[in-house]
Amino acid sequence: MLKYVSFVVIGLVAQATAIAQVAGTPPPGRLLASNCFQCHGTNGKAVSGMESLAGKSASELKSQLAEMKAQPEGRIMDVHAAAYTDAQIAAIAAYFATVK
Amino acid sequence: MSITRRNFLAALGAGGMSMLPISRGWAEDLPTSLSGTNPIWIPSTAPITPVPTNYTAVGRVIVIGGGMAGATVAKYLRIWGGSKVQVTLIEPSTAYVSNIMSNLVLNNQLSLSSLNFNWNRLVTNYGVQRVQGTVTTIDPVAKKVFLSGSTTPLYYDRLVVAPGIEFDVIPGLETAAAQAQIPHAWKAGSQTTTLRSQIQNMAAGGTFLMSIPKAPYRCPPGPYERACVVADYLKRYKPGSKTIVLDENAGIIAEAKTFAQAFASLNVDYRPATAVAKVDPVNRVVTTATGNTIKANVLNIIPNQRAGAVLASNGLVNVGGRWAGVDVLTYASTVSGAGNVHIIGDSSATTQPKAGHIANQEAKTCADAIVRLFLGLQPDQQIMTNSSCYSPISSEQASWLTAVFAYDPVSKTMKVVANNPAEAPVPSSDNLKEMRQWFSNLMCDSFA
Repeated sequence: MLKYVSFVVIGLVAQATAIAQVAGTPPPGRLLASNCFQCHGTNGKAVSGMESLAGKSASELKSQLAEMKAQPEGRIMDVHAAAYTDAQIAAIAAYFATVK
Repeated sequence: MSITRRNFLAALGAGGMSMLPISRGWAEDLPTSLSGTNPIWIPSTAPITPVPTNYTAVGRVIVIGGGMAGATVAKYLRIWGGSKVQVTLIEPSTAYVSNIMSNLVLNNQLSLSSLNFNWNRLVTNYGVQRVQGTVTTIDPVAKKVFLSGSTTPLYYDRLVVAPGIEFDVIPGLETAAAQAQIPHAWKAGSQTTTLRSQIQNMAAGGTFLMSIPKAPYRCPPGPYERACVVADYLKRYKPGSKTIVLDENAGIIAEAKTFAQAFASLNVDYRPATAVAKVDPVNRVVTTATGNTIKANVLNIIPNQRAGAVLASNGLVNVGGRWAGVDVLTYASTVSGAGNVHIIGDSSATTQPKAGHIANQEAKTCADAIVRLFLGLQPDQQIMTNSSCYSPISSEQASWLTAVFAYDPVSKTMKVVANNPAEAPVPSSDNLKEMRQWFSNLMCDSFA
């Protein structure tokens, strides 16, 4: 039992060290999601009129973008959303969900 | 630029008062209206993403040029790189005048001063160091630059060059006096207000003639937008006037459907594949490449364009004698031995348009790549960028254009994604409203 506990502790320390070494590593999805910042504000915090995306749930963003992709190309976001794959949309949505 | 109480307080914020809830207003954020309705400009309390102090990336970056690309890369190097990535922004001007929206100065919908931006927020909010000056010499071997009139080198680990564009000289317009008389107004500033005065002083029934340069040039839809905005103004206020457009390109190169329809409804005399050979500024006569002469009351000749002078004088122009070749994963120069020099925005030779919105995204791609290089990581290989913009078609309606680009590892270029680009089905007043929101957010993402 003692052996097991110390193994877990060592594992946690190793993990914490690994995280500390890479502080500031670009998180997944951030550069991709930054394509939204021009209109929806830095990190999805809009300043004027446009919808803020920061802190929205990933599932909500994914379903909004999927709906736009399915629209005929009447609005700018319908065309824009259609350019991204489902995997890219999932990565973008996951990133905005982490923004406080 | 006068120091207002508000930006004085913001300046104090840099000295350790940044925790206080002070106003971050600019001298320029006076409410300015478009068609007498909502304010167009950035609110004085734009959200700020803090610069992390615990990030491990370390390096010195010098950014040359404070336009859309240069301002954005400076900001994002700090918020993505952290406080140990030092960023120095070198720019000769005291203000940046937005080219985006500047056609609306010509029809009196906006004042030029409402398009003035500065770098104060990059300094106070993100700790960017600002140097006012002009870089003359780039030495990528010793990793240093020199400012005009200085023998003191400034050292860097990575250099980002974003100088915008230079203009060819049109025969007949060699002198500064002739250029002031026949303004291109393709770099917003005093030429924009000169052109506005000329258009407003033109008698009803006069002729406005403008030319469109050979692509690639800055802002592909911009000249067509200008032709529409001016023709719409003349129709309203100068009855019987005529608008002639000489396009050196074979046809309309952006939003072709939108502009063809607008030209038809505004009676614009559009002449494709027509290059300007020379201009007589005194008599206001244009001679085309095929020898035709056309007289007008107001001439707006937009010259062909090339990369910023600092790139040419330092051997960094290597594409077609005009533009700077780059690797679009990092925007590093393709000139041998200059891999620590990154070139973003209108000066770079890529498959992407030369325009402020996509320059902002090129800047983010470049900032992310530089941060990864400082961390010893490989650049992201799955780059996407986008070019989106709104174009006023009249004082009441606007159109839009969007194109998304993805990195293609085979050609090593940014390729437009299938089903893109696209333009608005019809111009509308809703688009004009969205244009204001787009502009405010874009400028805030770049400068605030």
